Amino acid sequence: MSYSQRVRELFEQLPRAGALATGRGQRVHGEAKALDRGAWIRFEARIDGGRVVECAFRAWGCPHVLAAAAQAAASVSGMLVGEELPTDAHRLAAELDSPPEKLGRLLVVEDALRAMLAQAHALQSR
Amino acid sequence: MTFAKDFEPVYLDHAATAPLDLRVAELMCACLNDPALQGNPASVHAPGRAAAARVALARDQVARLVGAQPEAIVFTSGATESVNLAILGSARAAGAKFRHIVTARTEHRSALGACRQLEREGFTVTWLTGDADGRVDPAQVAQALRPDTALVSLMHANNETGVLNDVAEVGRICRERGLSFHVDAAQSVGKLPVDVEQIGATLLSFCAHKLGGPKGVGALYIRRRPRPVLQPLVFGGGHEGGLRAGSLPTHQLAGFGAACELARGLLPTEQPRIRALRERLWAGLQAAAPVWRNGAAEPSVPGILNVFFPGIEGESLLLALDGRLAVSSGSACNSVSAESSYVLRGLGLSDLAAQASLRLSLGRQTTAEEIDRAAAILERCVRRLRKALPAGAIEAIA
Repeated sequence: MSYSQRVRELFEQLPRAGALATGRGQRVHGEAKALDRGAWIRFEARIDGGRVVECAFRAWGCPHVLAAAAQAAASVSGMLVGEELPTDAHRLAAELDSPPEKLGRLLVVEDALRAMLAQAHALQSR
Repeated sequence: MTFAKDFEPVYLDHAATAPLDLRVAELMCACLNDPALQGNPASVHAPGRAAAARVALARDQVARLVGAQPEAIVFTSGATESVNLAILGSARAAGAKFRHIVTARTEHRSALGACRQLEREGFTVTWLTGDADGRVDPAQVAQALRPDTALVSLMHANNETGVLNDVAEVGRICRERGLSFHVDAAQSVGKLPVDVEQIGATLLSFCAHKLGGPKGVGALYIRRRPRPVLQPLVFGGGHEGGLRAGSLPTHQLAGFGAACELARGLLPTEQPRIRALRERLWAGLQAAAPVWRNGAAEPSVPGILNVFFPGIEGESLLLALDGRLAVSSGSACNSVSAESSYVLRGLGLSDLAAQASLRLSLGRQTTAEEIDRAAAILERCVRRLRKALPAGAIEAIA
C-alpha cells in the first residue's frame, strides 16, 4: 500500500486525535462504526456562539481513515453550525489522494461527521 | 563474527528470509571467480569434474545438517519446489490404488497448493486442523489414514507461529504402516537439531535462504532404503537422479553447503541464545499490554514470536512501524479485501485480530540491543494508536 505525503503527515502527527480539551461551550458528538468496512470514528466538538470552536476525533482504522478523520476535524473547526458540510468522503479522498478501494471507509468518516453536526444543529435549534 | 549486519530498521523477519551470511557471500563470490569452477558439473571434462567435486562437497555439507547421506539429497530451487516435488511426485507415482493424501490446513501455501492440485487431479485430501495451540495431534493423523493413503505431509515448525508438530511421532505412525511421510522443515532446519532418521521422514524439504544461505536453492531429502518412488516435475537432462533436470548452479550450492556447515556449528549456542532473546522480546512487549501471544510458547522453533495488540488495526500498525521495524503481518495484503492468515484464524482469532497480528522472527544477527529497541518501538507505536481509539475499541477489536 502506498500513501500520499499528506496521509503520512496526518498519520504521523494525528492532530486533533484524542480527548476534547475542556473549555467554553456545549459538547456534541457523532459516531459511525463499520468494523467490517474497516472504520470506526467518533467526532466530538464544543459549540459556542453558534460556532464549532474545537473538534477532536477518536478512530480505529487504516492510515487513510485516521488521516481523513484528522482532516475532517480540522475542516469543521471554526465553522458556523448550520453551514454546508465543509467536506465529504469524495473531497477527503481527493485531498488525501487515497485509492478508490478506501472510499467506503471514508464514507464512514463522513457519516460520523454528519452525525456530529446534526447533533450540533439540533442543539442550536432548541 | 562478520555478518551482513547494518540493518536499519531492526530486522525481525528472519522467518521470511535470513540475511545472507557474509562468509557465505564471500565463498560464493570466490566460487564465481574461480576459473577452475566454471564448468558444468554434469560435464565429464576436467572443469566439469572440478565443479562436480565442489557440488559434491556442498551436498555432503547439506546432508550432514539433517543427518542424511549425501546420496539422499536432491537439489532444487528452494523449499517450495522441494515441497511440490515431494507431494506431487509421491502422489502421482503412487499408482491407481493410492489416491489419498493426509495433510493439515495450517501448512505453508506451497503444500496447500500442491494438495489442491492433487484434488483437481482426482485425489482425495484429508485436511487436518490443529488444536488450540496450532499443533496437529499425531492421533488425528493415525485416524485419518486409509488403505489407499499415498502420503502424509506435515510441516515441522509453523512458518507463522513457530509452533512445532510432533513429527517424530507422526513418522513412527507412518513407518509402522509403511507409509511415505513428507516433512516441510523449511523453518526448522538450521534452527533446531533436525535428524531425518530420528523423525522417520521419508522426504524432508528445506532451503538455503532461511539459514543464511542464498535464495534460489533448496533441497529435498529422499530416504535411501526403502527409497520412495517419485515422479519428477521437471524433465530434461536427467540431473539429480532423474528427479530434477537442469544444470546445477555451482556457486549457489557452494553457498548452501557453507550455510549449512555454519548453521551446524552454531546450533548449540544459537538455539538457546535466540530463544532467550525471543522471551526477552515477549517480556518487553508487556509494556504494551494487553498483548496476546498467538500459538503455544513451547514447543516451538526458537526465533518466532507471533503477537496481537487488541484494538490495533493492522495496516496502521505496519505504517507506524515503517522504517523502524521490518516484520511480517498476519494479512496477505493491505487492501480492503485483505485475506487474513488462515493459520491464525485456525487458532480462533477473528479476521481483524489475525490481520493485525505481527510475526516477529529473530535470527543469527539479532542482538539484545535490537530486541530492546524493537520492544520500545512497538510499545510507542501501539500506545500512540491506542490513544486515538474510540472508547471500547480494545475490547471490540479482539
